[in-house]
Amino acid sequence: MSAWGFVFLAYGIVWFALLIYLGNLKRRFRKVERELSSLRSSGGLKKNA
Amino acid sequence: MAGTMQKRGRGRRVTGILALAFILVGLYFALIEAPPDAYQGDVQRIMYVHIPSILTAYLSFFIVFIGSCLFLWKREKRDDILARSAAEIGVLFTSLTIIEGSIWGKPTWGVWWTWDARLTLTAILLLIFVGYLMLRSLIEDENRGAVCSAVVGVIGFLDIPLIHMSVYWWRTLHQPPSILRPDKLPWENVHPSMLIALAVNFAAFILLYFYLLSLRFRVGEMEEEVKTLKLYGGAS
Repeated sequence: MSAWGFVFLAYGIVWFALLIYLGNLKRRFRKVERELSSLRSSGGLKKNA
Repeated sequence: MAGTMQKRGRGRRVTGILALAFILVGLYFALIEAPPDAYQGDVQRIMYVHIPSILTAYLSFFIVFIGSCLFLWKREKRDDILARSAAEIGVLFTSLTIIEGSIWGKPTWGVWWTWDARLTLTAILLLIFVGYLMLRSLIEDENRGAVCSAVVGVIGFLDIPLIHMSVYWWRTLHQPPSILRPDKLPWENVHPSMLIALAVNFAAFILLYFYLLSLRFRVGEMEEEVKTLKLYGGAS
């Protein structure tokens, strides 16, 4: 492999891994946000009932 | 409370945008603007992500150390969430450091890996913090798990000064620092164009780190709130 091959391999792995982690974090964020808002609204309904 | 969350959300977005801008400028400096190294050639460009990665990991484990100390002292959940969030991201950056170093090592040293003191201590650092994250799933009592993890977080951080000093204390294949040297100023040892590329990439990594940490911390806070609401049925 040429020097640039090693460079692109390293940069590719770094930015791919960071993008995957960011995507995973965003998905977790949205999931827990949805769960929280549904729990809050059901809690609010219980209190009103 | 909602106002604070909105402010934090806005701050996070600004940090994210700044991180993206610095990443793009950093890539330009690292791959186009900076000259190839006189001895290593173009493969030295890996250093523009390798050094920021390990410095970001050190910062992350310092935050774990602070969060763990505060949690052991005050037993406040948010300190534990901060330490846990920083540990997760620190593990990611340490893994990337080892991978980048390995890719740089093959054309430079002729091997992907060697049991050099600095490399071995960095691998130990990674294992300590993987263990830190695993402890939580292994201990059923959540509070006990948090206390045990905090102790590991404090002890684990002590590996970092060892990693830094390893190149002075032992005869290692890993070269001593080129920038943070006690005998020379950074610009006396490294060409300014290389120093700029490194500085821009370091800023990009730090901004990205704080963006990820803020996002991960918010996830942790919301997960705690979900747990509380499930336990007390929204009465809290």
